[in-house]
Amino acid sequence: MKRGFYPSLFLALALAYPLLLSTPFQQRLGALVLLYAIGASAWNVIGGYAGQVSVGHVMFFGCGAYASLACYVHFGWPPLLGLPLGILASIGIAALIGTPTLRLSGHYFSMATIAVAELLRLVVTNIELLGGAVGLSGPVMPRTWLDLSFTSALPYYYFFLAVLLFVLWVTWRMEQSRMGYYLRAIKDNERAARSLGVEAGRYKLYAFMLSAGLTSIAGSLYAIMFGFIDPESGLGMLTSVKMLIMAALGGAGLLFGPLVGAVILVPLEEISNTLLGGKGAGLTFMAYGAIIMVIARFYPSGILKLLQDRLRPSAGGRQSDVA
Amino acid sequence: MKSGLKLMALAALSLALGTGTIQAQNTVKIGAVYPLSGNAASAGASAKAAIETALEIINEAHPELGDLTLAKEAGLPNMKGAKVEVIFADNQGTPAAGQNQALRLITEEKVHALVGSYQSGITLTASAVAEKYGIPFLSPESVAANLTERGFKWFFRTTPIASDIAAIYMDFLKEMKASGKKVDSIAIVNENTEYGTSIAKVIREAAQAANLTVGVEIPYNANTTDVQAQVLQLKDKNPDCVIFVSYTSDAILYVKTMQALGYKPPIVIGDNSGFSDAAFLKNVGSLAQGAINRSAWDIGKPDSVTYKINEMYKKRTGYDLDDTAGRAMQGFFTLIEAINRAGSTDPAKIQAALKATDLKPNQLMMGYKGVKFDEKGNNVLASALLIQIQGDKYVAVWPKASATAPLQLPYKGW
Repeated sequence: MKRGFYPSLFLALALAYPLLLSTPFQQRLGALVLLYAIGASAWNVIGGYAGQVSVGHVMFFGCGAYASLACYVHFGWPPLLGLPLGILASIGIAALIGTPTLRLSGHYFSMATIAVAELLRLVVTNIELLGGAVGLSGPVMPRTWLDLSFTSALPYYYFFLAVLLFVLWVTWRMEQSRMGYYLRAIKDNERAARSLGVEAGRYKLYAFMLSAGLTSIAGSLYAIMFGFIDPESGLGMLTSVKMLIMAALGGAGLLFGPLVGAVILVPLEEISNTLLGGKGAGLTFMAYGAIIMVIARFYPSGILKLLQDRLRPSAGGRQSDVA
Repeated sequence: MKSGLKLMALAALSLALGTGTIQAQNTVKIGAVYPLSGNAASAGASAKAAIETALEIINEAHPELGDLTLAKEAGLPNMKGAKVEVIFADNQGTPAAGQNQALRLITEEKVHALVGSYQSGITLTASAVAEKYGIPFLSPESVAANLTERGFKWFFRTTPIASDIAAIYMDFLKEMKASGKKVDSIAIVNENTEYGTSIAKVIREAAQAANLTVGVEIPYNANTTDVQAQVLQLKDKNPDCVIFVSYTSDAILYVKTMQALGYKPPIVIGDNSGFSDAAFLKNVGSLAQGAINRSAWDIGKPDSVTYKINEMYKKRTGYDLDDTAGRAMQGFFTLIEAINRAGSTDPAKIQAALKATDLKPNQLMMGYKGVKFDEKGNNVLASALLIQIQGDKYVAVWPKASATAPLQLPYKGW
């Protein structure tokens, strides 16, 4: 009963949020938080649980986004139909590049993922069918409701919330399963895990593929909501870094860590841009960067971890081996 | 005594609030979404300064600026001298931030119309929100063709678009050919993102239509630090005309490399962006004598309207107005002129007024033939002239009617 208290509280707040803060911009902010939480939670599977820090996750994000809009542009399908195709393509790419790159450890894996993502960005920039450097745009005026092109952010909000719950549920199932324990063992010490009979390579690859598929969903949702994708916004490194920072800030390797990160960072970014952006000279990013530095300096294992330790000083044992 | 003070404070407060509401009714609010941070921040800052200069001209009386729209009287004459207020927002160089800020300006700030957003991809997402809410969106500078192919009812743009620009280059080259110059082969050197690729594509098509041969096409990465290979390739093919579609740092790099390798093509055309940047002229202007560029902006003679506008802009920024910021200013003037003509801030009335816009060249600060929108929202009278680096500045050289100095060919370089 007590174990489910905070998640239920979160769910109640999440359901009520757009009714309490009901201006279009606030509702949109809520939808954005959920969207980035989906992306960061997806990254968390490989980056947090398995400890393999991917800095090229935007390639899966881009896969989903491009799949959705390419289906619309070339076949006239609702962008939503591209979502499963994006997932399949992402899992395929993950299997293809995961096999060689996951053999690399630590920084080398991170660097390899950056390289592949950048390569993909350059390739897409030169593919006319994917809009080349100009990009692809989605339906602006919905033909039917299936196009999911709404003026209000409210439908997006609840749709994203449902997807986030699904992603968290999948992650939770994984965490509780044999695979979850394997991954944490690999994260702590891969050699030790191998010597105990954990097939590290295989399980890292599974985690990478699962993470890729979930990230692709975030990409499709992004494309559906914003209705435009180009190589920079769909495959630029900044998106990879954002997923990583949100997960790390909230608490990488914790189920709700990425969500906490998104709840803090997305409003911080949007509100600081609203207050400071019009004044010019990039004050937004200075404020944003300063806050991240403070958090990295004082709460390196993430805010959620800090909260957990504060709230449950006695029951620290079970949770601390997770992080 | 104390309560009296309180009462007075209260009275003052209500007075302030009272005048506040009256003023609010009398203010036209415009949202401007520009890249104030990120890669294109310097262009965004120039556009912001240009719009602020326009605001100064509109809100104060400037009879010395002649026929320029809304300069003569303070405020908007058809709206009892209402003042215009602009709320700037930073698109951070990303389509997502551009769209979020457009939504905020419309729903939170309750702006009556929007201008922006420099990068075509961001104009695309930001204007989609305006379309959904039924708010007029005027883009003064985004050139991508697809922007006006979406069937939007609330989208207008004043800038010449890629096809206009290509037509100007081809007309110029055809005239050169007719006058006996050798123009058998053209090279296009373009940076490989949206701007370079789309302009290069249209130039290639226009050249084919004009029976001019594009012999070499060299796409390259604008963040590059070495262009020797590209310049050597040009030197090898030896085209009669090289057209660069470049951003600032790469344009500078090309000019330096061409000097280092002693390469001087007979005709050099640099398409706007990089070649128009104040930093380009300052750094390598002396090495690029005779380079031709397109512009719709000309500072003009010391007593001209454009010269006075440039002085106002210069006072704000410390440097001359360039073509891109000039287009932003002209777009803003066009929008406010339509609002004044509508005599109302009702979006539908502004939209109707924009559709009926018919500005003559003497009412503009840019060198367009006028402003008049077709059913897609493109300005059918948008045009540009060719300018050439002579000495430490650009001078207008083509077409002859608007030239302030004779054209100097071949390309002199350094």
